[in-house]
Amino acid sequence: MTHTPHRLEVIDISIGYGDKIVLRDVSFQIPHGARVAVVGPNGAGKSTLFKALVGLLPLKSGRILIHGLDLGIHQDCVAYVPQREEVDWKFPVTVTDVVMMGRYGKLGWLKRPSRADQAIVRESLTQLGIADLEKISIGDLSGGQQQRVFLARAIAQEPHILLMDEPFTGVDITTQEATLNLLDTLRDRSVTAIISTHDLNLAANRFDYILLLNKRVIAFGPPKEVMQQENLAGAFGNSLLVMENGAMLVDECCPPDEDHPHEEVQHD
Amino acid sequence: MIDWLLEPLTYGFMQRGLAASVMVGILCAVMGTYVVLRGMAFLGDAMAHAILPGIAIAYILDGSLLVGAIAAAVAVAVGIGFISRGGNLKEDTAIGILFAAALSLGVALISTMQTYAVDLSHILFGNVLGVSVSDLWLTAILGAGILLTVGLLYKQFLVISFDPVLAATLRLPAELLRYVMLLLLALTVVVSLQTVGVGLSSAMLVTPAATAYLLTRRLWPMMLASAVIGALSSVIGLYLSFYLNIVSGAAIVLTATTFFLVAFIWKRMKS
Amino acid sequence: MKNKFAPAVILVSILLASCAPSQSISPAPQAGRPRVLASTSFLADIAQNVAGNRFVVEPLLPLGVDPHAYQPKPADAARVAASTVLILNGADYEQFIQPLLENVGGDRLVVEASAGLTPRLSSADDEHTAGDPHFWLDPSLVITYVENIRNGFIAADPEGAEIYTANADAYIMQLQELDTWIQSQVDTLTPEKRTLVTNHEALGYFADRYGFTIIGTVIPSLSSESSPSAQEMAALVDQIRASNAMVIFLDATDNPSLANQIAKEAKVKVITDLHLESLTSPDGSAPTYIEMMKHNTGLIVKGCKG
Repeated sequence: MTHTPHRLEVIDISIGYGDKIVLRDVSFQIPHGARVAVVGPNGAGKSTLFKALVGLLPLKSGRILIHGLDLGIHQDCVAYVPQREEVDWKFPVTVTDVVMMGRYGKLGWLKRPSRADQAIVRESLTQLGIADLEKISIGDLSGGQQQRVFLARAIAQEPHILLMDEPFTGVDITTQEATLNLLDTLRDRSVTAIISTHDLNLAANRFDYILLLNKRVIAFGPPKEVMQQENLAGAFGNSLLVMENGAMLVDECCPPDEDHPHEEVQHD
Repeated sequence: MIDWLLEPLTYGFMQRGLAASVMVGILCAVMGTYVVLRGMAFLGDAMAHAILPGIAIAYILDGSLLVGAIAAAVAVAVGIGFISRGGNLKEDTAIGILFAAALSLGVALISTMQTYAVDLSHILFGNVLGVSVSDLWLTAILGAGILLTVGLLYKQFLVISFDPVLAATLRLPAELLRYVMLLLLALTVVVSLQTVGVGLSSAMLVTPAATAYLLTRRLWPMMLASAVIGALSSVIGLYLSFYLNIVSGAAIVLTATTFFLVAFIWKRMKS
Repeated sequence: MKNKFAPAVILVSILLASCAPSQSISPAPQAGRPRVLASTSFLADIAQNVAGNRFVVEPLLPLGVDPHAYQPKPADAARVAASTVLILNGADYEQFIQPLLENVGGDRLVVEASAGLTPRLSSADDEHTAGDPHFWLDPSLVITYVENIRNGFIAADPEGAEIYTANADAYIMQLQELDTWIQSQVDTLTPEKRTLVTNHEALGYFADRYGFTIIGTVIPSLSSESSPSAQEMAALVDQIRASNAMVIFLDATDNPSLANQIAKEAKVKVITDLHLESLTSPDGSAPTYIEMMKHNTGLIVKGCKG
């Protein structure tokens, strides 16, 4: 059996804006169909990493390989579900319009969407339980519905890798469950899912791997390995409190201060 | 009643004026959709003045003023794209900078010219009542070309306007497309300037599209509504100019603005 | 006629006498000779004929520029500031001059060339509240210009009084000859052919003097700076059709697009190179005021003949 390259390989990348480096020396490998949670405090570089994986941000160094080939070569392999604040909800498009955009990568420059494309769009909507919202303008949707529209678009893209930026933040339980169900379906199709979240509980319990970031990779691996005090202290610094009984509390309020590097919490 | 409608049409300049302003109205309305959605509302006015150096240089070199105007509009469009690339500066900031620079350059060039055979300020901008047959053909051909390109690139323009990140994941050449859009806008401004003049062209680029935005929540109907409103404003405005003795450019703009106010109030009352 | 501008001259002399001795204008090139600036090129030429060899009269506006549309530059303010005599047409013609004068400060003699002339009323009611300023297109009225300018020069430079008077007299004779010549040319037209359609109302005094009827203007205004409505354009077309007019006369600085459409509709010609508000360069067809008037007359008579 020939060695199948890992679905996604990130090799020693450094990324940033202008002269500023936001993430440095990041390396990890994610196998087919794995479900990865990306966690870390605000400002750790999660969104920046996603922008690099999508191809929006050029690498300052290092390489990203998908199926063993450079990121730039792949057409339409990676789907991205944005944070809700990043979307212009006042733009005059309907739910169907948005989901259909996911098919544009397959259509090429001049072709119009075909019946097959329309069927795929409808199916994606049904999978997310929002088929009845087809013709509604996106501005008229609730938060959870908006989330599901972008999920539907991501599926309609038929990607190999799905990136989701904080999909569990500020949505109701129904949507959260729908999202998780969707991820299960995708896993059956061997779609790799990389999800950033602040919900450490969810990350520890429902994901195969955790990538713990704070301007660099603090840890990467199965939840049991990563969710250790040492790693969490390395990521969250003084926002982490270890209680006498061993319980650990994390306060997620603020981006880490650059001038005061986080201190290691003492073991007792 | 029919007489009343037909009487202005007995004059050739009215026929041509109507045809020109309807064409320009439609063209500006469609392109204006992008202007409104991308927050570039003073692009029309800025570009109209920014083409001044192109015309001045064309005049000094004894070339075609229209070519000079197009060259300058293209240069300004590319400049806007370049300054605002990568999202460091927003497009409206870039427009503001280039507008001031180009206008100053134009004024400086013109003031170094000691004599003119014709006064550039009169040649610069057209008038809807002064449209000749060749002007009409030029408008039709350029306008059709622009609209055809928009039709072909509809999907791509939609994506880069709505979701630049999706554009990246779909591997669309987003920067190139942005330049193309700016170029089309530049040509639209030049075409409408030559035909209907400066006050009219920048208003026609914004007002009908803004009105359509209030009326519909889908992009394609928004463009259509915008075009209809643009065309109607032109026709009604010219008739008003004929029967009520108002300057034609102002009449068209006021009509378009009235449509906007009606839509605005209607929307308010609905909610 | 001479009495009418006496008060103006007296007023101006008082102003001059009350000048503060310390002024920050640079000294004139030859001691005692004034630095004279005229607003337009035709005024500069007329004034130069009075000044003769004593000094050069510079025009403020470049050649070929429409004074109605003119926007002053900072360099203009500097030139006005450096002048000791400023010659204006007056009657609100130089719309741009007021803010310039206010900002420039200092003292100079301002000669209003048309002082004492009664403006004709125009059918166009607009911002030229002082009436029609285009007096210079009637050479007989330019005689008054010459007299005002001569008096201004004498006040500014009494030593040259005799020279200015002699030059003025000689030039006035030329103007009278020009007037006679124009009349003779116009007389070759039968009365019903003496119709005029122009860009804006510039030829009012010319029409009055030589017996022309103004059928209408493309821009219904004393200034070139506005736009007609569709109704006004249609009305002009009808008027032209109902009259004997065969030509629309445009100044070289006018935008011909509106006139072209009207002409097409009314089936008349457009003649585009009159010089009404500016001279041309020395190798052009209107390098001096007198030649400008001869050129215009030639075109008008030829155009009206058909």
